[in-house]
Amino acid sequence: MSARAHAPDLAPEPAILLEQVVKRYGAHRALAGVDLQVRRGERLVICGPSGSGKSTLIRCINALERHDAGRIVVNGIALTNDEGTVQDIRQEVGMVFQHFNLFPHLTALENCMLAPRLNRGLSKAQAEKLAMAHLERVHLADQARKYPARLSGGQQQRVAIARALCMEPRILLFDEPTSALDPEMVKEVLGVIEELAASGVTMICVTHEMGFARRVADRCVFMDRGEIVEEGDAAGFFEAPESERLRHFLAQILR
Amino acid sequence: MNALPIDPALAWESLPALFDGLGVTVFLTVLPLLIGLALAFPICFARMSPRRALALPAEIFVVFFRGAPLLILLYLVYYGLGQIEALRNGPFWIVFGSPFGCAIVALSLNHAAYMVEVLRGSLLAVPHGIVEASEALGITRRNIFLWVRMPLALRYGLKAYQNEVVSFVKGTAIVSVVTITDLMAVANSIFEQTYDPFTPILCAAAFYWAFVNLIRVGFTFWGRWLGRHTAEDAPVALPGRQGLGGLAGRVKVTP
Repeated sequence: MSARAHAPDLAPEPAILLEQVVKRYGAHRALAGVDLQVRRGERLVICGPSGSGKSTLIRCINALERHDAGRIVVNGIALTNDEGTVQDIRQEVGMVFQHFNLFPHLTALENCMLAPRLNRGLSKAQAEKLAMAHLERVHLADQARKYPARLSGGQQQRVAIARALCMEPRILLFDEPTSALDPEMVKEVLGVIEELAASGVTMICVTHEMGFARRVADRCVFMDRGEIVEEGDAAGFFEAPESERLRHFLAQILR
Repeated sequence: MNALPIDPALAWESLPALFDGLGVTVFLTVLPLLIGLALAFPICFARMSPRRALALPAEIFVVFFRGAPLLILLYLVYYGLGQIEALRNGPFWIVFGSPFGCAIVALSLNHAAYMVEVLRGSLLAVPHGIVEASEALGITRRNIFLWVRMPLALRYGLKAYQNEVVSFVKGTAIVSVVTITDLMAVANSIFEQTYDPFTPILCAAAFYWAFVNLIRVGFTFWGRWLGRHTAEDAPVALPGRQGLGGLAGRVKVTP
């Protein structure tokens, strides 16, 4: 474990622990035995070429994909096939998707209120207060009454972030949160994520936004063909990549 | 013979009888629609189950009852089941001993078989990503169904449902073959008494037309209310629209 733990009273166990995690799709190994530890409060960026397994990796953490072998422990809860365990982990882990996946039949506010009302039994007034607070946080309080179809891509993604925050998760997973956005909207979404990063929540972000990675990430991980090829702090990672595969990848995306 | 194909005096005299017939037709529409829909849900779940032992019987049900012509189904239930002595002496004879009971059973089974497929198609149309987003929020499967999948499926399937209901209404006319005096049977008996084929049949047609169009208008409003999220902002901000529906009462503005 790293010596970078901020406070001595933090529990020693990592926020996320992956040991030899394997995920297969038929004969294809999407994850070929991945080991990864994420400390509490750490901000991790995962990058890699398409099909390298980075989305699969974070989708295994909240059991949207079930891993075939290895061990996954999230906030001290070992992920098994037991439905209760899966639910427990999902209460701790928020996720933001590439394509937002907002509920189209609900307003921005109702999108944020649904899970707290259903999972935590909050009253309508309580859920609404909570939802408004988080919409405020993503600078969308004035759009709360609108349906997703009425919002821009950037606004929709910020609602999706607020929706995840309403469950007050200790860990946030971002699966290419800006890849489906028009270029002029990328900044507003990254800005919100950077503000969150400053709040101390544990964060894993799959992204190709290298500027963002440099500003925010404590650590960067490069994946290729289902395995972690290289990892390091953001500066060294981009300036002095060690592996040939990462050099090749960086050359491709920074063209 | 006058220029009009219908005899206004006869039409006027026939009205009370035709209204009685319409009442029977409405009854034989509404009850099987409710029973058929209630049956369709569990059969649809079975049909969509990955377990073959559940899916196969459900599929056979659909293939059989959708394939069997309603008229033949009705004959089989009404004349066929009466041949079984055990049934005649059993408790279910209350249902199968009466033409109404038989008609309701046959119509319900027919409607259920069609609705299983309408329901299945609508549920399959719900984008997978939206269901995943609900799972990631830790919402239970049951709540995902109630609050996300079903509300969206209803919107996708409303037109198909409307078609099924409208064709079902007209299909009820065949119950006259098992001695039930529905709208069609009333018209037919007036024809047999007066030898005027046009007046009663055209009057009955007008009654069917009015009933079907009432349903159509109902569906149009229902669809408009359900589709409000695609058309405009939440009606909450527009005082004049509050009457349109439940949403107005469900959210309140907190400035």
